[in-house]
Amino acid sequence: MSGSIAAWLVGLATPDRPDELETKQLLAAAGIAVPRGLRLAPGDDPAAVPLVGPLVVKLCDPDVPHKTDLDAVRLGVAPAELPAAVTALRARFPGKALLVEEHIQAVELELIVGGLVDPAFGPAVMLGRGGILSELVPDVTFRLAPCSEAEALGMLEELAVAPLFRGYRGQRLDGPALAHIVRTVGDLVLALGDRFDQLDVNPLAFAADRWIALDAALRLRLSA
Amino acid sequence: MRGGSVGPGQCPRYDLLMASHADLHALLNPRAVAVIGASSRSGQVGGVVLARLLEGGRPVYPVHPDESEVCGIRTVPSVDALPDGVDLAVIAVGAARAVEAAEACARLGIAHLLVIAAGFAETGAAGRALQERLAALPGRHPTRILGPNTLGLHVPHTRLSTLFVEHAPELLARGGGVAFVTQSGSVGVEAVGLAANIGFGLRAFVGLGNKCDLDEVDFLEHFAADPGTTCLAFHLENLDCGRRFLEAAATASRRKAVVVLKAGRTPAGAAAASLHTGRLAGSDRVVDGAFRQFGILRAADDEALCDAARTLAALPLPRGPRVGIITPAGGYGVMAADQVETPPERGAARLALASLAGATRERIRAATPPFASADNPVDLTAVADDAMFAAALDALLDDDAVDIVLCGAFFAAHGVTDGLVDVLAEHVRGARKPILAFTLYGPKTERYLRRLHEAGVVGFPSVARVVRAARVLVQRAGLLDAPGGAR
Repeated sequence: MSGSIAAWLVGLATPDRPDELETKQLLAAAGIAVPRGLRLAPGDDPAAVPLVGPLVVKLCDPDVPHKTDLDAVRLGVAPAELPAAVTALRARFPGKALLVEEHIQAVELELIVGGLVDPAFGPAVMLGRGGILSELVPDVTFRLAPCSEAEALGMLEELAVAPLFRGYRGQRLDGPALAHIVRTVGDLVLALGDRFDQLDVNPLAFAADRWIALDAALRLRLSA
Repeated sequence: MRGGSVGPGQCPRYDLLMASHADLHALLNPRAVAVIGASSRSGQVGGVVLARLLEGGRPVYPVHPDESEVCGIRTVPSVDALPDGVDLAVIAVGAARAVEAAEACARLGIAHLLVIAAGFAETGAAGRALQERLAALPGRHPTRILGPNTLGLHVPHTRLSTLFVEHAPELLARGGGVAFVTQSGSVGVEAVGLAANIGFGLRAFVGLGNKCDLDEVDFLEHFAADPGTTCLAFHLENLDCGRRFLEAAATASRRKAVVVLKAGRTPAGAAAASLHTGRLAGSDRVVDGAFRQFGILRAADDEALCDAARTLAALPLPRGPRVGIITPAGGYGVMAADQVETPPERGAARLALASLAGATRERIRAATPPFASADNPVDLTAVADDAMFAAALDALLDDDAVDIVLCGAFFAAHGVTDGLVDVLAEHVRGARKPILAFTLYGPKTERYLRRLHEAGVVGFPSVARVVRAARVLVQRAGLLDAPGGAR
């Protein structure tokens, strides 16, 4: 395990249980873009948040990976409305931290890039279509880690959304950059070694000509 | 699931196996064989195995403490009394006695043991303890074990067989290039037996059973290096050595096709608490992706496995996906064209209907009656004869726009004779492109397919199966071309 990952593990607020911001900090350190954001602890003043433009406010709790299911996300919050949004979420989730981020306007397609440990084959990566339909109409594919960029491009070709990377209806999503992210996730899975359990970068969105992780959840295995 | 459970990607005997690759030559071609458990009483497994082994023409020594002769062969009173040169002991007694016999054979230094009995790890704690005693032997003695709980081996070219169930030995006797390794003996015997009806070129049949010692990776490595093997086919239920099998398969698949029927799904973990991705751990999709990444072709069922294996073992790979079709029955040509153009499942190869060159169409027109179709699919019509088939085959093989030829060999037409078998065989022999036949001839279908097989022509009894076989060839060619495809 590299020194920076070991240091990240040691620095977790709750041992073995990274929250969304910590997970995104790990992704950012690996070169994957994430929105600018910060954590508001229960007593922190939302007026002091230095971010501009429309914001996202959401519950920041490692026990709640599927925040939307709990209606724990507010999108497109103007800075002036931030204190009210924070107050409302705090009322519903007392004692919990919140995450405030820039709201990223992205193209419609949302992807999932994930990591997992398969019981037969060990560490693996997943690439697939995200969003609400993704569980009804699965469009996902897998490779084992490490996964080269050439192999990741092969994954992309297997997806039903592959034409969006070839100019379908004017869409020009960046396939090689996506392949690089899949490779990076595979490398991260291996770097975490036997501490790794599951990772979802979901959604991974395309905005301003780059891929950006709008949400991420990481499960670790307990240290021995 | 058979055998013991093992953690992710780990192999129970990794260190030992890495230390020395199993040398399986003597297992598949032993100088002499001992049989433990053969007696004069009829209907016993041991007696049937002894009879099978005697057909191979090599010395066979039944071990029996009381009877001096079994099946007219002099017995040896105990394992310790066996002569030198016994490379394989086939142990056909019940589980508890089999372990004792195996221990005696291992002490004597017999290189290979084949343990037929069931009643080991697949049955519970007592059986697991017996299997552990077997599994401990290879670490202490120069002995390797196949099984337990296996039908064993059938190797036509060395005339070695331990199969005590009815199968198709006469249909498989010609041998061939497919090494067929199966976890379930019954699936293997039935699948290969059925495939033999239309011709199956078998290099070796191996029943792995409970894999207490030798496993799929040992045989993968052996047959990958065996010059007589042209394709490796596996039926597997659990991949104890998941990652190690994949790595070995990737190495093998650079030179030979590896086709796997993976049956049985690994139970997924705590699904409710999992993230989106984690919920799919152990799913079939992970197997799909891993197989593609490591150059393995996946077969959906036993028929697809055997079809893919016999095709890949015998034919050259196409340079592209463009299919030319010849039939004397336009309706079948249209069906074949439809199936060629049907989009494949995720990850499978796409085929295309070839656009024939003008010169090709001219040549076909010159050799066929005016109402025949010289466009793809080429329809020779019911007036087809052997010479028209030959001319159309020549034309498609010469056309650079055609990568694969599918030929409907229908013997019912008046002008078509048994000579069409020779026409196809001659073209297959000379061609650098794959030619696949499909034949329908009522109750005579299988007989004609066997004749085609014996002449070196790969044929199928349906449009769906011949098109699927063409897809497999394109997929295999794609694996070899892919960057990092076969790693």
